Amino acid sequence: MTLASIAVEELLLVLKIAFVVLLYLFIWRIVRTASKDLRVPQESFILAPSQANELGAVRDVGPRNVGRLVVVSSPTLEPGEGRMLDSAPITVGRGPQNDVTLDGDDYASAKHARIEPRRDGVWVEDVGSTNGTYLNGIKLTRPRKLTPGDVVRVGETELRYES
Amino acid sequence: MSLRNRELLNLVVVGALTALGFASVYIARQSVVSTASLSYAAFFFALYLVAHLVARYAVPYADPYLLPMAALLTAIGLTEIYRIRPGDAFRQAVWIIIAVAVFAGTLWALRRDYRRLESYKYIFGLTAIGLLILPALPGIGTTVNGARLWIHFGSLQFQPGEIAKLCLIVFLAGYLREKREVLAQGRLKDFGPLLLIWGGAMLVLVETNDLGSALLYFGIFLAMLYVATGRLLFTGIGLALFLAGSYFVYTQVAHVHERVTIWLHPWTDQKVYCALTGHMALRQDCGSYQLVKSLYSIASGGFGGTGLGKETIETTQGHPLIPSLNTDFIYSALAQGLGLIGISALILLFMVFVLRGMRIALLADDGFSKLAGAGLTFGFALQTFIIVGGILRIIPLTGITFPFVSYGGSSVVANFVLLAGLLLISNRANAPREA
Repeated sequence: MTLASIAVEELLLVLKIAFVVLLYLFIWRIVRTASKDLRVPQESFILAPSQANELGAVRDVGPRNVGRLVVVSSPTLEPGEGRMLDSAPITVGRGPQNDVTLDGDDYASAKHARIEPRRDGVWVEDVGSTNGTYLNGIKLTRPRKLTPGDVVRVGETELRYES
Repeated sequence: MSLRNRELLNLVVVGALTALGFASVYIARQSVVSTASLSYAAFFFALYLVAHLVARYAVPYADPYLLPMAALLTAIGLTEIYRIRPGDAFRQAVWIIIAVAVFAGTLWALRRDYRRLESYKYIFGLTAIGLLILPALPGIGTTVNGARLWIHFGSLQFQPGEIAKLCLIVFLAGYLREKREVLAQGRLKDFGPLLLIWGGAMLVLVETNDLGSALLYFGIFLAMLYVATGRLLFTGIGLALFLAGSYFVYTQVAHVHERVTIWLHPWTDQKVYCALTGHMALRQDCGSYQLVKSLYSIASGGFGGTGLGKETIETTQGHPLIPSLNTDFIYSALAQGLGLIGISALILLFMVFVLRGMRIALLADDGFSKLAGAGLTFGFALQTFIIVGGILRIIPLTGITFPFVSYGGSSVVANFVLLAGLLLISNRANAPREA
């Protein structure tokens, strides 16, 4: 009886130690591997407006100035018409809530495509259109990065990306 | 090793830890609990395996540590709940199943692009206020311990405030993303909708006596405003307003005054008037009874702890020593069982979780994701601080749940939705992009 209870006490002690040791090993494992991938280059998100302005003044060809979209052909927009891109994403579609409204383009969906400047360049993606968005004639299945001269087709409207 | 395989490996470690915890409780309390305890560990591992498989499909590039950490926290919580009251552990296990299902559903529904939530930001803001008002409505609201926070459908109780917190964070992220430039310049009219929705939430919280949540919402609001605008001035004004408001409430509301007194002077040598019974009594036998007993409980754990399953949680007559031990005060039961070493590991786990969350917010490359990630993580961190700080007498105690650990269905469900949000954001940030 006493022997058994001693064995139980010892077993519990072993379990307690095992639990705490394993717990620390788990944390150590996470911290160790996690510290490896922290060294990723990135820009700070928290900037005072004055700092942001200074940065803008210093790098006038930085990622803030990201190019423009020019209409190549369209049933509704004037060819040659352009739109400068800044840091904000631009939506393209037939609905009035879009940044680029294709009111008379019957093949465009209400919400068709999104053109989004990111840290590494300007990206285009389809946002669930019926007829699809095409980049240089190829239908988009996932977001793609634009290079100057690329033509994006939404419905019957073609837009060229220029730097 | 791929991210998801790493997650799987971590989950195996968590499974082993769960088995150790339950085995310890089982062996220490063989006369009370049954071999069912070990099936809890197996059930738990299987459940997280399912969650893992969903993550593998829906968010292949997401952070591989968050899910195992959440699993470990719920496992430790479940072990302790099982030890305190085996019946509650079964109900908590059911809630964890529901939570994992909601988690999987959220990942599935938003796996393509969660950023469309941004278009519904005002709906989220109004939903938050609606959810907060729900418990105050007659018929479905229930009052527990002086705070009217629960709604019930039949026998099912739910605390809608937990979900409201998440809705509010989505609203703040969407609104601040859109307006952050003009807000940073301090144009007053842009603060209108922000103050309206946030002020509404605060009003409801103060009205329902939910001080812990009010503090939490205030903190989340200030933190997200700072992340969005980078203006320390706003945070300063916010804190000043908070201190002024706190002082006013302290002098005017008896309930709050009582909490502060308990915090500063939990022990008295002479009998003081006890509002609970209407007689004279030492304060440690009256208003601060729960807090003082919890401090004794933590202290008796010492450096190494009593071991899971051997904590003292009942008086010699068999009455529970600390009221609401498995919800608000689960920290003190765990501190006794695991000791300083073990409870430090638990706190470390929360810190690592927050670290990963903040890293996700940093890596996200659009404003909405950054703000949502930072808001979710900060809310999680602040909630942990409010409850643990309250129990350790760093700040006045306000009842709020210990994320993932304490007993309570709505809290577990809400925290799993939070986890799903962080995984979605990190999946998007880490996904490889072809040029």
